[in-house]
Amino acid sequence: MSTNNGNVLEVKDLRTYFHTEDGTVKAVDGLTFNLKRGETLGIVGESGSGKSVTNLSIIRLIPSPPGEIVSGEVYFRGQDLLKLSEREVRSIRGRRIAMVFQDPMSSLNPFMKISRQLMETTELHLGHTKRQAREHAIKMLETVGIPDARERIDNYPHEFSGGMRQRVMIAMALSCEPELLIADEPTTALDVTIQAQILELIKTLKRVTGTSVILISHDLGVVAGMTDQLIVMYAGKAFEQAPTRELFATPGNPYTKGLLRSVPDPTDEQGKLYQIPGLPPDVAHLPPGCPFAPRCERAEEICHREFPPFVQLTAEHHSLCHFAREVFEESAGGGSRTQQH
Amino acid sequence: MSTQEANIDAVQHMPPLIDGKREEPLVAIRDLFVHFDLGVKRELAPGKGRLRIILSTIGACVGCAVLVLLAIRFGYYPAAGWARLLVTAFVFGIAFQISSALALLVIGKSVRRTVKAVDGVSLDIYPGETLGLVGESGCGKSTLGRAILRLLKITSGEVFYRGRDLSKLSSREMRQHRRHLQLIFQDPYGSLNPRMTVGQIVGEPLETFRIARGREAERRVQELMETVGLSKRFIKRYPHEFSGGQRQRIGIARALSVDPVFIVADEPISALDVSIQAQVMNLLERLRREKNLTYLFISHDLRAIRHVSDRVAVMYLGKLVEVAAAKTIYDDPLMPYTKALISAVPVPDPVAEAARQRIVLEGDVPSPINPPGGCRFHTRCPYMIPACQEIVPPLVEIKPNHFAACIRISPEEPDIEKVTSGMAPGLAVAKAIAEAG
Repeated sequence: MSTNNGNVLEVKDLRTYFHTEDGTVKAVDGLTFNLKRGETLGIVGESGSGKSVTNLSIIRLIPSPPGEIVSGEVYFRGQDLLKLSEREVRSIRGRRIAMVFQDPMSSLNPFMKISRQLMETTELHLGHTKRQAREHAIKMLETVGIPDARERIDNYPHEFSGGMRQRVMIAMALSCEPELLIADEPTTALDVTIQAQILELIKTLKRVTGTSVILISHDLGVVAGMTDQLIVMYAGKAFEQAPTRELFATPGNPYTKGLLRSVPDPTDEQGKLYQIPGLPPDVAHLPPGCPFAPRCERAEEICHREFPPFVQLTAEHHSLCHFAREVFEESAGGGSRTQQH
Repeated sequence: MSTQEANIDAVQHMPPLIDGKREEPLVAIRDLFVHFDLGVKRELAPGKGRLRIILSTIGACVGCAVLVLLAIRFGYYPAAGWARLLVTAFVFGIAFQISSALALLVIGKSVRRTVKAVDGVSLDIYPGETLGLVGESGCGKSTLGRAILRLLKITSGEVFYRGRDLSKLSSREMRQHRRHLQLIFQDPYGSLNPRMTVGQIVGEPLETFRIARGREAERRVQELMETVGLSKRFIKRYPHEFSGGQRQRIGIARALSVDPVFIVADEPISALDVSIQAQVMNLLERLRREKNLTYLFISHDLRAIRHVSDRVAVMYLGKLVEVAAAKTIYDDPLMPYTKALISAVPVPDPVAEAARQRIVLEGDVPSPINPPGGCRFHTRCPYMIPACQEIVPPLVEIKPNHFAACIRISPEEPDIEKVTSGMAPGLAVAKAIAEAG
């Protein structure tokens, strides 16, 4: 059984496979993490790395078939979500675990006024009457910073801009005061200035309500400022897992290192940008050894042959690499050198 | 007054890239306007919605009554009670719709809706440089890029390429020039014909421009594919067999096939994964050096723009608001909008990110349909004063080679933080230019 030591979510060895004609795609393959109350966990990775499937597995929204949660345990407040009936999950999803997705236009019903959509959640989960639900919805819209909430509540989704729609989504997600908010690329479709507004909003709401957050993004900049813990995913595996600051300061995995170096640094002088060679792998046909080996600078013979171990570097820092310790020590040395500059 | 005249002059002619030596611009844009007319729409003034409902209801009642009476008179009214109810309701519904439309016609007001996508832009692009064009979505940056290549109808203004006005060329003459001016698209999925092989896609322009045929064309296609880092083996494959990054390489190879001089790269990396973005940026940079290309690099990604560009132009709602060297824009932005834009970019460094004071702008970008008057940015600007709502700020050289459009700063007082509240040192120059123009 799970222990309840302040962890809102405990995921153990989660494996979600998709059975396709092309073979079995191991979209998420052995993911383990804990999330404490009020903390934010970031999951970064490129497209196809399994970050969204992780999120969908947790809330049991994997389309099945072809998807299947092969093994694993997802303890939410001590309750294994994977063992609950569909009905029990439905009473948790939307109420105690809320979601915000990338594209607010396709997550809102274009034929329904947003008042209806906002009220539906609280009527269903909190047993509000129509009047209560409406007042609550207006309050939520005000909380997320929609001006003239009382008038705008009867608008349709298309009458809002992208940023405003994402605010409506957040208002909807937070209207039942969830214990866990899963935000899957919440700002990817938005402009930078609007992104800054939304991130600031999530931060503030987190501080006020004490909600735990899982933030999924491909943008290292976004997760750097928002998260306490970070998981870097590649080909369905957690390649590196550490407290955010530690991971950025001393990455212990060549992939993480490559990712960090391939983001142009605005403060840096122009020069050749570091690039990870090659392409992200086809998850249905992974090479026998380390999935990153064909693109890895320091790959040696063993990397192409054997699957790398999950090395524990410090108390909370793990890395999936044959040479995790060497890479970690290198970046620790290099890190202090850059700090001296 | 001499400084003012100098400033007016500076607006017309962007300074040379290299100090002292006045270089001829490769592409010069003068007072370019691209407006899209969305036609006239009747709009209801706010607060008149209730009046419209009242009028429609009255109209519907009258219309419905007249029709029902006519039906009774000529014997078409059904006898059964439920059928009568149904017919009456149906007639009422239609009458309501009609009177609602009539009410709009009577109490509404005609508004001509124009999207001012590009609204008076002057800009020089010098040979061999990469000019970054940055702005939020809907600011007109893609429209500007396409208007330069004459892929869109220009409302007014000129685009000079090596001194020749492209907007005055006939379509046949333009076709000759097209060889020199190419475009790389954002969407690597939508911009390649799925029924053509890579060889055909890359080779097509060679035939169109009668550059090479047969064997020779094939050889050149192979060469091009190698240049952009694709294996020659892929020549017979179709676009769907490639990943986003590879497709972008195919698009680049096609653009390069005609030996262009100037390339508009419209968000070439936005649809790609982080690790692939770096590859494509490096490829573009290498090609620029090897083939002596000039780029207009359009992107909303400020980090990418900073990396690839020599100079950066910031655009907001159809107007340029700041133009300067890339380093200058990032280290010392002058316009409040540019400041906010740069401050909004998240930095991949948790320590710096925690320490940073971020300027969060209020509100959204206003609609480019009938945008706000005066300074377009005044609705979101923390430094707004009443004059900003009236005066359209011209792009003025505030510091050497650093242009900004804001009446609250001037060459004498370039730092908006230090300008006394309510003061507008740039106002006189703006007024002088408005009168001159």
